[in-house]
Amino acid sequence: MSQAQQAADIAFDHVGVTYPNGFVGLDDITLRIGGGEMVAVVGLSGAGKSTLVRTINGLVPISSGQITVGDVGLKGLRGKGLRTVRSEIGMIFQSFNLAKRTTVINNVLMGRLYHTPAWRALLAAWKRDDVELAMQALERVEIVHKAYAKASELSGGQQQRVAIARSLAQRPRVILADEPTASLDPPTSHVVMRDLQRINADLGITVVVNLHFLDLARRYGQRLLGLREGRLVFDGPGADADEGVFESIYGRSLTAEDMLPGHQQAAV
Amino acid sequence: MTTFPIAVPPPGDAPGIATRHPDEHRPWPHKPRTWPRALVIAAVICALTAWSAIAIQFDPATLIRNAHNASRTLVQLFQPDYTFIPDTAGALLETVQMAVIGTAVSVALALPISFLASRVTNPSTVVLGVARFIMNVIRSIPDLLYAAVFVTVIGTGAISGVFALVLFDLGIMVKLISEALDGLDRGGQEAALASGATWLKADRIAMLPEVAPSYISQTIYVFELNIRASTVIGLVGAGGLGMLIDKVRTFYQYHYLSTIILEVLVIILALELLSSASRKRLLI
Repeated sequence: MSQAQQAADIAFDHVGVTYPNGFVGLDDITLRIGGGEMVAVVGLSGAGKSTLVRTINGLVPISSGQITVGDVGLKGLRGKGLRTVRSEIGMIFQSFNLAKRTTVINNVLMGRLYHTPAWRALLAAWKRDDVELAMQALERVEIVHKAYAKASELSGGQQQRVAIARSLAQRPRVILADEPTASLDPPTSHVVMRDLQRINADLGITVVVNLHFLDLARRYGQRLLGLREGRLVFDGPGADADEGVFESIYGRSLTAEDMLPGHQQAAV
Repeated sequence: MTTFPIAVPPPGDAPGIATRHPDEHRPWPHKPRTWPRALVIAAVICALTAWSAIAIQFDPATLIRNAHNASRTLVQLFQPDYTFIPDTAGALLETVQMAVIGTAVSVALALPISFLASRVTNPSTVVLGVARFIMNVIRSIPDLLYAAVFVTVIGTGAISGVFALVLFDLGIMVKLISEALDGLDRGGQEAALASGATWLKADRIAMLPEVAPSYISQTIYVFELNIRASTVIGLVGAGGLGMLIDKVRTFYQYHYLSTIILEVLVIILALELLSSASRKRLLI
């Protein structure tokens, strides 16, 4: 598959997010993610991991500051402009977010909706090129033989790979992953993380993934972002993240619960 | 590992519930008192029932006073005249045809309107409010009233009946399907929107397949309703079996009336069997 598009730079400039109920999701975040990086975001639940990832495609609107993806500013962006930015950013969710009662290939083709005219979408008359692209995306995650199976018939790991294929079908410059392994068992978690790693390495797509388990984050994130109460408290290579760093992120020392259980079974 | 002798209670202690030191005693929460409220509600319901019965002069004795008359009618009703069946064929067919057309038109219209009337598939609160308001008005009018209005406006016959059925079904269908949409998992839709799709495209591709089984199932239900309804709306002249019922009733031909009632019963039962069988197949 030719993913010729250049990966985007993502820049956060004093970004703040305050939810309607007054909860501060992000507090004055400034950082830059270069094209082709693989970044893992860690922190306690409620620390703003999800918020950070979801501001990049505008699923969560920012209250202050500015985010630029490529050369487009997201603040206040709506309608066609926002959809154009989103079309270049794939997203993978904790609960897979597939339409479970339709086929795998239809789910992957969803990634082509931005480029599909409304009349074609209404008739589900997909372009031949888009079907080809979707099949290639399924092949990349080694699940193309399931193309015409119903999504609900697949296992959790297979469903997540369909979701990865859907994001690949977008020909994205960035892939965001919001706790992609939280609904998966440890061996499957590694399969999915390796898929993401390969996509990053082979296609040069920027990957921003937030992870609950520190060992996964340290292993797969070349760069680690640590969030605590909406603030960025660590930004550096995963290897530099020692005990002290984790204490600053988690406010306590490391325990077994912060590690993926039994991950050595699935060691590479 | 230390083992605890849970099977043998320490001497002097009652078995079962662990003993607590008297100083540790805290009162358990009190069960809230609910009986005064229950009493008030029961009294209100009784009062309403009594008031209604007095207002409409409900008197079970009427049934006994008219027993002679009633028994004669009942005897006739219990002797259906099966030779009448061929004469009902035309009206019966018309009832089924009305039900088919009414169902087809109404479910086709109901699908897009349901997407407008669900909070989950329509982001515009204004359009949502307008769609829901119009549908509430349509649904608040009973089928018989629609039939009476169309018979007055268009004239007697099946076409008035079809219009009445369409509006009646539309109200039910949109209510059921938009509520089914409200309860769906929105994961696919969220993903489609996150990839730059418009709401229209996301709803079509991610939400329609999810709501399809309940759409088909409710279509069968509405068809069932239509068979029932089209026997009733005929009473005001809107075609089908109902018109025939009205005729034989006017001439006190109770042998015929019971034949028609039996026919309807058989059709409804057959439809029930058919629909429950197809629903089972649908929802595997």
